[in-house]
Amino acid sequence: MSKLLSFKGASEMPMISVSFGNMEWNKTGAWRAQRPFYEDKTPPCSAACPAGNDIVAFIQKITEGDFEGAWSLIKEENPFPGICGRVCFHPCESKCNRGAYDEPVAIHALERFVSDYASTLNKKTERVPGARKGKVAVIGSGPAGMGCAYHLAKLHYEVTVFESSPSAGGMLRMGIPSYRLPKGVLDREISTIQALGVEIRTGIPFGEKLGLDDLKDYQATFIATGAHRGRGLNIPGEKGKSVFNGLDLLRKINVGHRGKLGDKVSIIGGGNTAIDVARSVIRLGKKATILYRRSKEEMPAFEDEILEAIEEGVKIRYLVNPVRIQQKDDMKRLECLRMELGEKDESGRRKPVAVPDSNFFIEADTVIVAAGEEIEVSFLPKGIEKKDGIVLTQRDGNAGVKGIFAGGDLTSTQRTVAHAIGSGKKAALAIDCYLQGKNAEEAIGQILIGEGPSLSIFRHLHPEERPMNPHVVAFEELNTDYFETSKRHREQRGLARKRIKGFEEVTSTLTEKIALKEAERCFSCGTCNGCENCYVFCPDASIVKVEEILSRQVDYDFCKGCGICFSECPRGAISLKEEAR
Amino acid sequence: MKKVITGNQAVAYGVILSRVDVISAYPITPQTTIVEELSELIANGRLNTRFLKVESEHSAMAALIGASTGGVRCFTATSSHGLAYMHEMLHWASGARLPIVLVNVNRAIAPPWNIWSDQSDSLAQRDTGWIQLYCENNQEVLDTVLQAYRIAESAKLPVMVVLDAYVLSHTSEPVEIPTMEEVDPFLLPYCPEYAIDIQEPVTFSMIATPEFFLEFRYKLQRAMEQVPEIAREVNDEFKSRFGRGYGAIERYGKAEAEILLMTSGTVTSTSRIVVQKLNEKGISVAGIKIKRFRPFPAEEIYEEIKGAKKLAVIDRNLSAGVGGIFAHELRAALYPRENRPQVFGFISGLGGRDITPELIEEAIQYTVGHPQPEEEILWLGLKK
Repeated sequence: MSKLLSFKGASEMPMISVSFGNMEWNKTGAWRAQRPFYEDKTPPCSAACPAGNDIVAFIQKITEGDFEGAWSLIKEENPFPGICGRVCFHPCESKCNRGAYDEPVAIHALERFVSDYASTLNKKTERVPGARKGKVAVIGSGPAGMGCAYHLAKLHYEVTVFESSPSAGGMLRMGIPSYRLPKGVLDREISTIQALGVEIRTGIPFGEKLGLDDLKDYQATFIATGAHRGRGLNIPGEKGKSVFNGLDLLRKINVGHRGKLGDKVSIIGGGNTAIDVARSVIRLGKKATILYRRSKEEMPAFEDEILEAIEEGVKIRYLVNPVRIQQKDDMKRLECLRMELGEKDESGRRKPVAVPDSNFFIEADTVIVAAGEEIEVSFLPKGIEKKDGIVLTQRDGNAGVKGIFAGGDLTSTQRTVAHAIGSGKKAALAIDCYLQGKNAEEAIGQILIGEGPSLSIFRHLHPEERPMNPHVVAFEELNTDYFETSKRHREQRGLARKRIKGFEEVTSTLTEKIALKEAERCFSCGTCNGCENCYVFCPDASIVKVEEILSRQVDYDFCKGCGICFSECPRGAISLKEEAR
Repeated sequence: MKKVITGNQAVAYGVILSRVDVISAYPITPQTTIVEELSELIANGRLNTRFLKVESEHSAMAALIGASTGGVRCFTATSSHGLAYMHEMLHWASGARLPIVLVNVNRAIAPPWNIWSDQSDSLAQRDTGWIQLYCENNQEVLDTVLQAYRIAESAKLPVMVVLDAYVLSHTSEPVEIPTMEEVDPFLLPYCPEYAIDIQEPVTFSMIATPEFFLEFRYKLQRAMEQVPEIAREVNDEFKSRFGRGYGAIERYGKAEAEILLMTSGTVTSTSRIVVQKLNEKGISVAGIKIKRFRPFPAEEIYEEIKGAKKLAVIDRNLSAGVGGIFAHELRAALYPRENRPQVFGFISGLGGRDITPELIEEAIQYTVGHPQPEEEILWLGLKK
């Protein structure tokens, strides 16, 4: 410790005022009024991902060149990276903080890259070793059912999936055209779930060949039968010949039929199904015109899909509402009304209002109705409540009958693949809690990503690892001085005139080089990526490195709490709190 | 190799040849082209020097104090308000005995706003414990930068090299540029007595109580007192290596002259011509160029002025309330000595006004014609 210095005079003194020995004994950290600490916070992308992907973590693995590691991280939460990377509408990217800076990170493209990379290694998820905790039945092999089965298998359950069609996949197989989702990708991701020990029994329609009585061996059942029934328009003539339902047509095309289409096809609707139908029709060598009753801005289909459809020759007529379908000679004649936009409705979109006496006619060989989907309820067990077109469930997915859970499109109006995967995951967790006598509500509450509703099953399995403050990092919390603007990398798209010759996939997976570049664009919001800004700026050399690697620890013996690390952290991964006195 | 370069380019060459490790600077006219030149070389990977970008001159000097404490060779350049803004850190650099070299391009201090040359900026820093060396031409600028590092690192004191705005900074002259091979043996790598060692952390510049503070300042003064000897040795070696040299002062013109004209900076160049012309006319005048302002070369001056009756000092600066600073220092230096000549203190050329041969001649003629100055301050070229 300090000793009192005494000099007789200048001749004994050093040139400058400098301590004679090591000053580490002087713990200047005692002067600190506030304390910085490393604390990962929730990135907006993960909070927005219905499937609960740990996006920043897997992108970080990509930047390290560890693509397998990235794949493992994604697979912790989501069995379908190859599928989501292709067909998810990526709400993560809409919330990406980079979007407020230049352009959002192409998260979907990176997810797809990782999945396709892993497939070249023939990566498979292994069956989790150890005794099984019970048997669970899953009805429906779509993203919700398979997602649930996947997580249940990883939670040590024996799972059997019952599927009415001849092959598994649900809407992924029947509803999505293969130019968007090649069947090979679907097969490969389903097979990784089977590799976990999940049994899939196809050709067994629930309610017909299978009832609840047949499932007595199973301690719990998850029903995820989806919404496969095309909604009607309730207009005269829609039951006539050459008038088809969009989903039916997609289903036919997906199993290799061409459907009975005339040359000129009118498609009624503005959602993704309408676009899928139109683009499929074009690929079958027909002319496709979409009739939509609102304007472009209100169209629920994804923008990229609309653009690609137009590129491929799909015509879209806006503010047109068919009110009657007639037969005129060999042609269908659609009597339509012109519409204009009125006040906003409950969906926030401007409501179409018919222009009086504006009737006109559109002629077509075939009419396809793609005006939304409905759930099939006839086979549902008694005691299950339905309202406004969906099955009502409790917060944990319980369908109101002991041991019966429901999810996916059946229970939600947010009918996307990612939502279905998320709902399957939640059901898996709830079923585990139910069978282990635990409180599912509580368990869910502990693993919400941000404010929820997305869940992290990883956190359920490893509550101590990768802790994350639920606070979602806002753009304003970043220190963007350290970022340079850069262009978002897009997947290559084939030429439209070549695309329409078949059902080959339209876009191609990013190359490794581009994927690395795109991954580098991630701000890593709220998550320390070892950039070492804190280390560089700390005036007290109190950011600790161990073997040249940032330890994410502060040496509180000497940290004086100046907060420079906190303000210079580009990504908000350091927090500051007042020192308790 | 001889090149036609500006004074600011000469500075940059000096810095390159000195193998400086760290540069930190903030732009200010007329200094800017110095660091512009250097930072471009660094950015292009042609100069292996760390450039620290800062938001002010105060930070520039603070950054160099840190770097120099780390034991590396440092450089900065500034002018006028920039130098004024550094003031606090200038004290710190000398108190911490850091051999930083700073180039100041002399520029007046506003208001009124002015970007032209006078010495008010550097002379306002005369009490900060920095060695100050004033240059007459671009060759001297380059050579002085090289010498400055040697002097600074031997004396363990910071050095300010000063050149006139535009007259040197932006005017091209032929300059002999030595090669790296020639400079390296003259200027060896810096070996600090104290340097930061992160493994063995010690405290620098911590508090010195009244019991010890006086002694530290005594040591600073003693260090300044060593500078004339160090500078002489450095210059002698420089001369032997490069064939050029510069004393603390330089006398030119008639030997045993009655009147001595004392100038600094580029005014000396003009004065040389005037003195020669007047000598030819039979006027007994000689010139003295003052290169080193701090420590003030009292001894050297006294040796050179023996026998002179009158000293005409042209100051391109003003310490309001006193007058010209060179004249003032000179009076103070001569006071204890015998046979003091009369000091005629002229003020001229403030804010970049030309000090023409006519004005210099007028100063000399005034001195010839008056047994003593009629006023404490003689304004040269003042429009009344």
